[in-house]
Amino acid sequence: MGGFFWVAGAVAGRQIYKYFANPAFLAPALFPLFFFVAFAGGLTRVGDVPGFDYAPGYIAFQYVWALLQAVAMGGAFTGFSIAGDFENGFARRLLLAAKNRSGIILGYTIASLVRVTVTGALVTVIALVVGIPISGGFDLFGLIGLAALVNVAATLFGAGVAMLLRTQQAGPVIRTPIFMVLFLAPVFVPLNLLQGWLQTIARLNPFTTVLDAARGFLAGEPTSALPAYGIGFALVLVFALWALYGLRRAERVGS
Amino acid sequence: MGRRGGIEVENLVRVFRKGPRAVDGISLAVEPGEIYGFLGPNGAGKSTTVLMLTTLLPPTSGTARVAGYDVVKEGPQVRATIGAALQEAALDQFLTGRDHLHLQGALHGLPRLERRKRGEELLQRVGLSEAADRKVRGYSGGMKRRLDLALALVHRPSILFLDEPTTGLDPQSRSALWAEVSRLAREDGVTVFLTTQYLEEADVLADRVGIIDHGHIVAEDTPEALKAEIGRPSVEATPMDPKERDAVARALGRFGEEIPAQPGAVSVRLDRGDLADVVRALDAEDLKVSNLRLDEPSLNDVFLEKTGRSLEGAGDPEAEEA
Repeated sequence: MGGFFWVAGAVAGRQIYKYFANPAFLAPALFPLFFFVAFAGGLTRVGDVPGFDYAPGYIAFQYVWALLQAVAMGGAFTGFSIAGDFENGFARRLLLAAKNRSGIILGYTIASLVRVTVTGALVTVIALVVGIPISGGFDLFGLIGLAALVNVAATLFGAGVAMLLRTQQAGPVIRTPIFMVLFLAPVFVPLNLLQGWLQTIARLNPFTTVLDAARGFLAGEPTSALPAYGIGFALVLVFALWALYGLRRAERVGS
Repeated sequence: MGRRGGIEVENLVRVFRKGPRAVDGISLAVEPGEIYGFLGPNGAGKSTTVLMLTTLLPPTSGTARVAGYDVVKEGPQVRATIGAALQEAALDQFLTGRDHLHLQGALHGLPRLERRKRGEELLQRVGLSEAADRKVRGYSGGMKRRLDLALALVHRPSILFLDEPTTGLDPQSRSALWAEVSRLAREDGVTVFLTTQYLEEADVLADRVGIIDHGHIVAEDTPEALKAEIGRPSVEATPMDPKERDAVARALGRFGEEIPAQPGAVSVRLDRGDLADVVRALDAEDLKVSNLRLDEPSLNDVFLEKTGRSLEGAGDPEAEEA
């Protein structure tokens, strides 16, 4: 693995330093916070609708989605950073110095995880302030584990796109599919209350299983935890290969 | 060539999709500790060659070994051995000079203490100690170039690639960089592969020069040998009255073949006679000149001889490199 880990460490160190030197690193949390504050407040009565059977309540129901959205967007924003590094030429320095270039991908991924630790914590603190329950069987590790997998998968997806396109124009190509996957799931009401095409798509969307499992962890009643983790690991694997493909393409065309 | 310090290139080709044949079968060898100047106009293939030798771009065909390692099959070993300062300094505007050195050291796996020590040493050597903690976005072009050079040296490479390192620098910064490059080769035994479009730079710095044009190496030797190959000086005369240009051309034409000259001037490569003979010939025909100059052969003359064009202004923007 000659150089793999020290390259990863160097790349992660630079990214993390940059995040904490610039408050803009909190940007991935802004959208989820907006949705959370706006909808969890305005739609609280949805919790009274017959068929809504999520015990911790509507705010907690929304919090889980906001958290997963924050960590997924954290991955997307890391993709934007990678695209920026290619566009302004800095990636060339990394490729030139890295004995093992695959370590570059790991470095960005580690930095992304560190970033969403902060943004995820921010979302959680605000959720606690507005009243999600902290009693009951809250399975913190199960929830954090799923959030980490979502972040890593989104980061690797973004890295692959960024390295293929090597321009900041990659932004919409990274963001749009992530948004679609996030929103075509039971965002505001449980799956059984969705109707028509949206319910069909949500049922087919693998993110629905992840979201259900995460909500189950928060409720202290884990449901479909194993399939959710299976989907999470599978996505990480697929997008790791995708990111490596992007890296090899960047190497072939001369970044 | 052994596994230390040199470069060996054979029939290296790079073709860009829907683009030019940027490098078209070049072969060259650079000895360990040598400064090799790669001279050519914009778009000649210099930077593309450097990108291939530094493993940033795979060749379409041909082979290249750097420090004994194949650039395609042994990229990691090549990268561990070389340092490179490319045409546009790849710097992060939000990091300081010191941050960059720390990052570069980390990428090369230097232990933390060594990273710090080496960083201080290099900052001092390139004269950036005082600016070390300033963000790079506030650096001048010269400072960025010096930082880029320092970054290329962090891991003590045995081969250094410098792609047009003095483009855009003021004369003082250029001289300082030349001095440092010379010192690296003479004192530290670093092999330097230097691309440039400046004749003077190649002449002053390089032990040997390869002249590239349209992806081909058209000449290669020491600067002295290349100039000696041309052999003959040239005379350039600017008539005082522009209407007498043709008459001056006829007078000078008796001494040799006309070659491209400054606007309004006439220049010939001296095949016979010397400057005194030219003055006498102009006097005899009562032709007055505002300027008369004898030029010893330069690398530009070598380029002219080999390609039929002057190096200055010979760039082909359409064929700009990767």
